[in-house]
Order: sequence, then structure tokens, then C-alpha cells
Amino acid sequence: MPPIVSVRELRKSYGQIKAVDGVSFDVAEREVFALLGPNGAGKTTTVEILEGLREADSGTALVAGVDVRKNPSGVKERIGVQLQQSAFPENFLAQEIVDLFALFYGRRVDSLALLRAVGLEDKARQKSEKLSGGQRQRLSIAVAMVNEPQVLFLDEPTTGLDPQARRNLWELIRSIRDRGTTVFLTTHYLDEAEVLCDRVAIMDNGRIIALDSPRSLITHLLGRGFSKPVQQQQASLEDVFLDLTGHALRED
Amino acid sequence: MRQVFGYTLMLLRAYTRDFTALFFGFFFPLIFMGLFGILNFGAFGHVAVGIVDEASNADSQAFHAGLAEIETLQLSSGTSDAQLESLRKGDRDIVLVIPADFKIAPARQGAAVPTLTLYANQGRGEQVAVGSAILMQVIDQMSFAITQTAPVVAMKREEVAGRNLKYVDFLTPGIVGMTIMQLGVASVMFSFVVDRQRGVIRRIMATPISRRNYMAAHVLERLLLAVVQVLILLAVAVFAFKVSIVGSLGLVLAIAILGSVLFLCLGFAVTGFVTTENQAPAIMQLVTLPQMFLSGVFFSRDAVPAFLKPVSDVLPLTFLNDALRQVSTAGAGIVDVGSDLIGIVVWSAITFVIAFRFFKLEA
Repeated sequence: MPPIVSVRELRKSYGQIKAVDGVSFDVAEREVFALLGPNGAGKTTTVEILEGLREADSGTALVAGVDVRKNPSGVKERIGVQLQQSAFPENFLAQEIVDLFALFYGRRVDSLALLRAVGLEDKARQKSEKLSGGQRQRLSIAVAMVNEPQVLFLDEPTTGLDPQARRNLWELIRSIRDRGTTVFLTTHYLDEAEVLCDRVAIMDNGRIIALDSPRSLITHLLGRGFSKPVQQQQASLEDVFLDLTGHALRED
Repeated sequence: MRQVFGYTLMLLRAYTRDFTALFFGFFFPLIFMGLFGILNFGAFGHVAVGIVDEASNADSQAFHAGLAEIETLQLSSGTSDAQLESLRKGDRDIVLVIPADFKIAPARQGAAVPTLTLYANQGRGEQVAVGSAILMQVIDQMSFAITQTAPVVAMKREEVAGRNLKYVDFLTPGIVGMTIMQLGVASVMFSFVVDRQRGVIRRIMATPISRRNYMAAHVLERLLLAVVQVLILLAVAVFAFKVSIVGSLGLVLAIAILGSVLFLCLGFAVTGFVTTENQAPAIMQLVTLPQMFLSGVFFSRDAVPAFLKPVSDVLPLTFLNDALRQVSTAGAGIVDVGSDLIGIVVWSAITFVIAFRFFKLEA
């Protein structure tokens, strides 16, 4: 099966800064793939090039069989996106937001079914700006699914969310993958990448410095004789918090 | 097309939930109209006349009493110094000095007649003109009474119905023009600056909708809103304030739409230079405030000082207000307001070019 995302020698500079400096990788269909890296590593720039929102200086990028640089609007038809630092227009109800974005793809959708899929059916008649952070992220995933995308791009989907909301979102992302959509996300949370992703690419200073499954990256590291200086705690404070508040299906 | 109309309808539905926008779009202009309509600022008030009676005799007192019966005149009396001081302070429009030799008697051939001295407040030309005309009339009537001669000519006054312009008749087209300007500029500037800053437009542009369709829906929504707003304003004016719209309502609406296009273009042009939400209110005032006062919204442009006249003459709102007013108060046809319409079209073209060059959907 050919890769659904295929990137070769992608470059993008802003003045002197090489935001993306010769990046190449493939994403297989139906996998959850993450670009991992610190802020400013070039994750968002890379993703936005793949989404057809930014023009690369050089290199090639194929997404769902479409050359992004030649046909950005063709790519937009085939993918779903959740952007970092974006918002929905105000004074629209959640359900209307879904209908509105369906209209942008020239489609009619069952907006309630889409909201149900992300657990927001009971918020359908609420203004989107009145939703909590986690609810808003889930709404934006529902919106990203209106065109039945082949690839779903999520740029830092869990940044700023509390632990329950994060775990909620992870479950949602897994269920989307199980229904056959490839998920491409960026994150700077290592735990998130570890539990959620089939493969991760670690990015730093505009380059990919490692690319493999989380398990084999860790095995590889241990194989080089790495050991943590301190004995790993058996539980973290986060585990305590989750135990006390209960993460399953709690409204965030 | 389905996309444009569908989006337009959804924008309108969202608009009805935006209470701030509704307040400033619909109620604010009505409050303005109500306030100015009730206060009736435009009505001609009184003429403040200071009387300095240096004669203090029966004749001068009779003259004084005669003046007191005239409603338009607001009399006060005092010493020459005090009254002239009040005049300088602007508390009097006219000071009339009755000389010591004042008497109401037939003038003898060759003898000097008593001379009334009138000091006029230079800053209140209109009141002075009306006030002195009334005074002259009173003096003439006294002369006729004394000399027992019939007037050489008589004047018969007839009120002409229908063209008796009330202030609110004058005000309404001004308020309509002002509302079109405010909404055109504000509805573009605030929503686009905010949506651009919050990443709303970025998110929408990540879908396949074309920029053309996106813009078309936003412009169409605002034009429809403008028509509704103008209709509501006119309905309130006609039914609550008994404003008479002399010319064609259809032409008023057509001019309103044309004006709305102009101010939307101006809004997009100006928004090209606004990057943050904080700048928007200041820029908004900068663009609209001068036009509110120099383009004849509340008062006739005759009151604009001479050195600002050339500016006032070419402001976008001047053309719009003039066209609306000509049609609404004087029953002008499309040909009569031709030069105003050309002004509106030229301004639309200029602002469209600026908007096309500088307005960006994304930061």
C-alpha cells in the first residue's frame, strides 16, 4: 500500500531562519503518526505546508495522492484539519458550526451524528464560544470530519487541556483511526506520543532527527546502554490526580 | 452560488444573536433620531434681545411692552454697560439702545428723529437677521399708527403645505446616511480584524471555499442588513415622528444600497491598515467622526466654517446625505442627484482600489 503522506526534502525559510530544513518522511494509511518536538522545531510549519496553507520553498509533498504544491485546494478537499491558534466564528451554535463547515466543502451532513461521535450531542444548541477548552477541541475534530477526510491533521490537539480532557481526546483519536482515517498530529507531550502513536518523528531545528515507533525508539535507546539515573516512580502525581477525580467519561 | 447564499443566511442568523451589533446597528440610530427629534435642535429658538432704555418715559415703556408681546423675542433690560457685556459674552443676540430723546410722535419736517442703536452679535447672524427684521416691523407699525397713513404695500402671508420642512424631516436622511456609514465601516473593521486575529479566517481558508465566495457572502450579508436597517429607520421616522418622505422610497433605498457599497469598500480599505483589535476603535473614530460633523448629518452644511468647506464638499458622506436628503425632503429624481451619485461611485472606485491593494484576509 503506498503511503498516504509522502514528503521529500521539504524546505521553508523565513528570512535567515530555516523553519523546515530538508524534511523527508512517509505516513502509512490508518496509522497515528506524530511530529514530536519542542516549540519552534518547525512542526507547525511542516503541517501547514501539508495542509496547503503555506507554500514550501522546495521539495515535494504528496497528501492522499495530491501534490500539495501544485494543487493545494485539491488537498484541502481530502483532508480534515485542526489548527493551532484558530477559532470558530462567534454567535454560531455548535451544530451550526458543523453545518457551516460542511457548506464550505459543498456538502450536507448529519451534524448531530458528527457531534454525537465526539460526545457533544447535548451541546449542539450551545454557542461554540461558550464551550470549555476540551469541548471546543472535540467540536473542532467534529468539524474536521465533515468531509470524511482521508487524513486528519491535528496540530497540538491537547495543549492547554486538563488530564481528563486529554485522555478523552486520545480515546476519540483512536476511535477515528479505528474507523479508517489516518491521523497526523503534532505534540510536545512525550507521554501523548508514547500511548497514542504508531510512529513518531522527532523534530528539532527544522530537521527530523529520529523516526520510528515509540517502542523501538525506547528499545534502541536502552540498547545503547541508557539507564535512568533515578529509580522510576511507580506512580506520578498525574496518576494520583486521575485516580482521585476519575478520568473516564467525565465532562470537562 | 448555493454556498454564497447559504453562508449569507448563516451569517445573518448569527448576527441576530449578536446583541452588541444589534444594539449599535438598530437601536443606537433610533436613539439618536429620538433624541434629536424630541429635543428639536434644529427648530429656530428665541432671539435674546437686551433693551437699554435711556429714555425711561411713557413712550419708551409702551414700545418695550409692545416688544414683550412678541414671542420670538426674549427680552431683558439693564444698563448699557451690563447689556453690552452680556452681548460680548454671547448671552444676547441683539442689544437695542433706546435714546433719551425717544418719543412716539409724528416727526416734524426737518427735525431729527430719535435714533435707536442696535448692537448685533456677529456670531449669531441668523438670530440677528430675524430679530432686527422683527424690530423694524414693530417700528413701522408704530409709525403707521402715529401718522395714520395706510401702508404703501401690504403683504399677505400664506403657508405652503407639504414643504414645511420640520427638523426631523431634515434629520432623518442624515441619520440614515450616518447609520450606513457607521455600519459599513464598523461591520467590516471590527469583525474582520477580530476574525483575523483569532484565526477564524485561517481556519475557514483551510477548507476549499474560495476567497471570492467567502467575500461575496460577507458583502451580501452586510448589504442585506443595511437595507433592513434603512427600512426600520424610515418606518420609525414615518410612523413615530411623522416624517414625510417626499420623493420615491425606491430611490431612497437604491441610494442607500449604493452608499452601503461605498462604505463597505471604505471599511475594507481602512481595515487593510488595522492590524490589532485595539487600533480599530481609534481608526473608526478617525474615519467616521469628521464625516458625522462635516457632512450634514445633524445640521445643515451651511454651518461648516469656510476653511473646512472644501473638505466638507468632497467627503463621501456628504454625497450620500445630500442625495438622500434631496430625494426625501425635496422629492428630487435620479437626474437631480446625478452629481451626488457620481461622487458616491467615484469614492467607491477609489476605496475599492485601496481595499483591493491593502486588505488581507490573513495576517
